[in-house]
Amino acid sequence: MLLDINATSGVPIYRQVLEQLRRGIVSGQLAPGEQLTSVRDLAAELRVNPMTVSKAYSLLELDGLVERRRGIGLFVAGLRERVKEAARRELMQELFRQAASSACQLDMKEEEAVALLREWYRHFSSGRKA
Amino acid sequence: MSTPLKKPRPVIEIRDLVKCFRGEAALSGVSVSIPRGSIVGLLGANGAGKTTLLRHMIGHALPDSGTCLTLGCRAEALTATELARIGMVHQEEQLVEWMTVRQCIAYVRVHYPTWNDALADALRKKFELEPGKRIAALSTGQRQRLMILLAVAFEPELLILDEPAAALDPIARADFLDMLLDMIQTRTRTIIISSHILSDVEKIIDRTLILDRGHVAYNGSFEDLQEAFCKVRLKRLDRPLPEASPFADTLSWKGDANSASGMVALPPEKQIAAVESRLGCSIERTGLSLDELYRCVLDRREEMADEKAE
Repeated sequence: MLLDINATSGVPIYRQVLEQLRRGIVSGQLAPGEQLTSVRDLAAELRVNPMTVSKAYSLLELDGLVERRRGIGLFVAGLRERVKEAARRELMQELFRQAASSACQLDMKEEEAVALLREWYRHFSSGRKA
Repeated sequence: MSTPLKKPRPVIEIRDLVKCFRGEAALSGVSVSIPRGSIVGLLGANGAGKTTLLRHMIGHALPDSGTCLTLGCRAEALTATELARIGMVHQEEQLVEWMTVRQCIAYVRVHYPTWNDALADALRKKFELEPGKRIAALSTGQRQRLMILLAVAFEPELLILDEPAAALDPIARADFLDMLLDMIQTRTRTIIISSHILSDVEKIIDRTLILDRGHVAYNGSFEDLQEAFCKVRLKRLDRPLPEASPFADTLSWKGDANSASGMVALPPEKQIAAVESRLGCSIERTGLSLDELYRCVLDRREEMADEKAE
């Protein structure tokens, strides 16, 4: 999985690494059992301080999204549905927040907004099933 | 990787350091400790005390009162053994003018048992320093690159850099920062770098130490600083927004009919949501650059000093 880090965005680098890995794990792009790149290798690759990567990894571990196998490294955890649910909610929260805010300001009716969201949802979900 | 149970001793421990020059305080009771393996950005205006503080760390300046321990040793009593573990690039450069680049490198090399010839050679080539050229004939930028080479080629545990990139052009500065990044990848090192070109150091530091007229204005992790303040933008399409900031802890604020923005102490999610529903607007939050954060810290100090005076 390719990470995209912007060192001058004002968002702490550890947070950028954390968010992108979290997204990767929840979306299944990083499969359960998959090993994470070592702290040293990822730091060298991203051109950042190894302590930064190490901090992001510890927080992922705390989230229960990865697990440490002593002496080997970190692996994507076999996620319990509850953990996955929580992480997924957190990811979607921000996107829905923005959409809802704009809809309100533009005086869109609640039913209309929900219908529009449903339309898009179906647009993508039908593609996935096909 | 296992975490050690006992916290390793800080590389630098400064307690209540006071230093006056001709009756004027350059440092007024500075207490700072720097953990091993951190990369510290030392920031402050001219005359804030940055160079004086760095000079104390290697015993080049003696405190009027207070203490400075470097690598566990009183800085004024550092011996050759400890000094051989510390690299320093400072503003008062002292190169022997009649020597050639090659001679100068050979001259410094003998003092360091850990000197890495391959690294010195690679840096000399990268920095485009001709071995046969006399020091006296080097440009300011070339002299600075040579100073950097001499300070890092023995792979010091502690590297102290006082405005190391000031005389370098943007490409050389990028190369230099790249070199620092390489250095920290392979082994635990502590780097203290003072700079007024904040956009440079922002990419590599993990701690920030801000001095303001001889006092510590901020000392902590860069991430915490990044999460202490933010910029908020309020947008409302259908109705004008109130003129004043809706956030209690606001550093600066400006706005027109449909949008407003300002720098604020990072409000909790709940508060943002509350403001959003109260004003019927959407709020976008973005992080600040080191430059902006630096100004936030100093503005905040200014405010607090004013409040005290009242």
